[in-house]
Amino acid sequence: MLQLVFLIPIIAGIAVFFLPVKIGRMVLIGTAITHLLITALEWFHVTGPLHNKYFSNTPEGMLVLAIMSFLFLFISLYTISYMAEVEMSKEPTFNACMLLFLGAMSMVTIADHIIMLWVAVEATTLMSAPLIFVRRSKESLEATWKYVLICSVGIALALLGCFFIIFSMEMSNIHVPISFSSLSDVADQLNSVWLKAGFIFIVIGYGTKMGLAPMHTWLPDAHSEAPSPASALLSGALLNCAFLGVYRCHQLMHSAGLGDYSSNVLIAFGLASMLVSAIFILNQTDYKRMLAYSSIENMGIIAVGIGIGGLAAFGAMLHMIHHSLIKSSLFLSAGNILLGYGTKSIDKTRGMLRLFPKTGMSFFAGFAGISGFPPFGIFISELLIILGAIQAGRYVAVTIFIFCLILIFAGASRLVMQMIFDENKEDDRLVPETWARALPPIILLLTSMALIIWLPDSLYQTIQSAISSIGGTIHG
Amino acid sequence: MIHISNILLALILLSVLLSLRSNRLMALVKLMAFQGVVVSAVPLVLETSHGVNVNLFLFFLLLVLVKGILIPGLMYRAVKWVVVDREIEPIIGYHASLFAGLIMIVFSVYVTNHLQLAMFSESHKLLMVTGITTMGAGLILLMARRKAITQVIGYLMMENGIYLIGTALAKQVHTQYVVEFAVLLDLIVAVLVMGIVLNDINHTFDDVDTTLMGQLKD
Repeated sequence: MLQLVFLIPIIAGIAVFFLPVKIGRMVLIGTAITHLLITALEWFHVTGPLHNKYFSNTPEGMLVLAIMSFLFLFISLYTISYMAEVEMSKEPTFNACMLLFLGAMSMVTIADHIIMLWVAVEATTLMSAPLIFVRRSKESLEATWKYVLICSVGIALALLGCFFIIFSMEMSNIHVPISFSSLSDVADQLNSVWLKAGFIFIVIGYGTKMGLAPMHTWLPDAHSEAPSPASALLSGALLNCAFLGVYRCHQLMHSAGLGDYSSNVLIAFGLASMLVSAIFILNQTDYKRMLAYSSIENMGIIAVGIGIGGLAAFGAMLHMIHHSLIKSSLFLSAGNILLGYGTKSIDKTRGMLRLFPKTGMSFFAGFAGISGFPPFGIFISELLIILGAIQAGRYVAVTIFIFCLILIFAGASRLVMQMIFDENKEDDRLVPETWARALPPIILLLTSMALIIWLPDSLYQTIQSAISSIGGTIHG
Repeated sequence: MIHISNILLALILLSVLLSLRSNRLMALVKLMAFQGVVVSAVPLVLETSHGVNVNLFLFFLLLVLVKGILIPGLMYRAVKWVVVDREIEPIIGYHASLFAGLIMIVFSVYVTNHLQLAMFSESHKLLMVTGITTMGAGLILLMARRKAITQVIGYLMMENGIYLIGTALAKQVHTQYVVEFAVLLDLIVAVLVMGIVLNDINHTFDDVDTTLMGQLKD
């Protein structure tokens, strides 16, 4: 049953290639709803746990899957009215690749076999590449080429890391299936040198995909050149999947007693990502690139939180949920801005509040959310990470962490204020905003707000059991 | 049996060095086809000491089909579209690349000797050396050339190298054909997607020179 979660989108995706545009749109929505239903069934274990040779449902996987499925429904609703507006000639290809991409990402979340996980992560790269170059402009071609090549090479290194981990098992003459669940049972007998080497390669490999500096160079290009629904999906769902790959290995390192080592590696990469995005966000002239750098920052925050562990691990998981919701909402709003003004330049998109009140509101609220203001979730998650870091005595890390947050807020707020509040004498509106395109980003923001007031018990339990293996807990 | 595998490994190293020296795209594609076939044969030769296995042989045929015929075929078509079949000004020159390749061999021998792989037989050690060299040379090719096609070939060479290292290290993977098949499928789709993008780059820029693409930066 669990496999349906990726089989259905893949079959639907292949079908959409050949179907007429209008039916294709219906299939897109239908699959999104079906996917959410299956995810809900799996979430509440209606079908019972599954332990296949290759797949299994783990709490952390279900968490990523649930976020992705929820986002996808609203992104697909948005896609339909967005696509109707831009009149893209390749729309069937775009919709089909959205579904195939969803299938590949769902496969990542339930993969248990080490190499199956690798196969699924590589598949996400390949399925999302057509989404980026669907417009076939010079810039989007360049972005796609960088994306495919950098990510493929990075992920190839992750395959090498997988081989190292398998070898660490053969070194100690153990023969169990090469899946994360069975490896963690025998983790303390694995050869630690090869395990460490494997972890480094896997962090470099999946970290490339996740956007950790210094392997992040593809990310701003791809996120800014892709059509906005695709950017929202890349930022809100794909980065989490790559993170899941890193997290699985971190869990393995923890059960092998090498948790300190892998934690330090994650904190170092996380802080580097935050610093890099803080530096590059200051002088951005393109609002989609600005959002992309903010994604790099937030992935860094998650890596730091997971590395610190304890209370911060809970914060990191919470951060993953809220970042996905808020950042997708921001990218969808950015799509409305792009349609309305016809440009990605910050200088030419002034006076949004007067010209596009709905979009201006959601963009501003999203920005407040991503900067860590209450009542949005990132406020709580960043607070938990900072508290956890102080509790763990990591004072240097927490100093850099807070410094980067302030720098990014200062840099980005100048740009966003200019976009929203500055006077604009012109009254050019290429495409007026509609509720069909304004509502999905607002709903995503409201979800983030609702989760602050009321965190459902099953979600709380899932986060708890996802982080318990790395010693994370809410009761610091 | 050891002798045959050594000959194969020597052939792989030869193809690696030749590809670092070659400036014709077509020659590179042919070299890739040759390397693909030889790389596919390596597990077959190494494992036959435990008795011939039907599954292994079938998988060998599949690998040859993919790495020796299908992927080079796709690359061959891509090269045919391109007007200038020659690397004009490589970022790192041919002699320097060749020299770097030779250094890579020395380096990988050094690394392999220091890994303390006591359980390794002599042929597995040589396999490791060849794997690391192939991977490193692939990376050099990726970074040192301007043509997008050469970069794809560099990526494929890297993938071959990782496959060889995997053959040396992880015996268990080679009994799980579902997984290996999935990895292979990914490789085919990767080359397919890269081919489509290559074609578009060629149409849009009238060349596959990646230095023409430099608009996105901070």
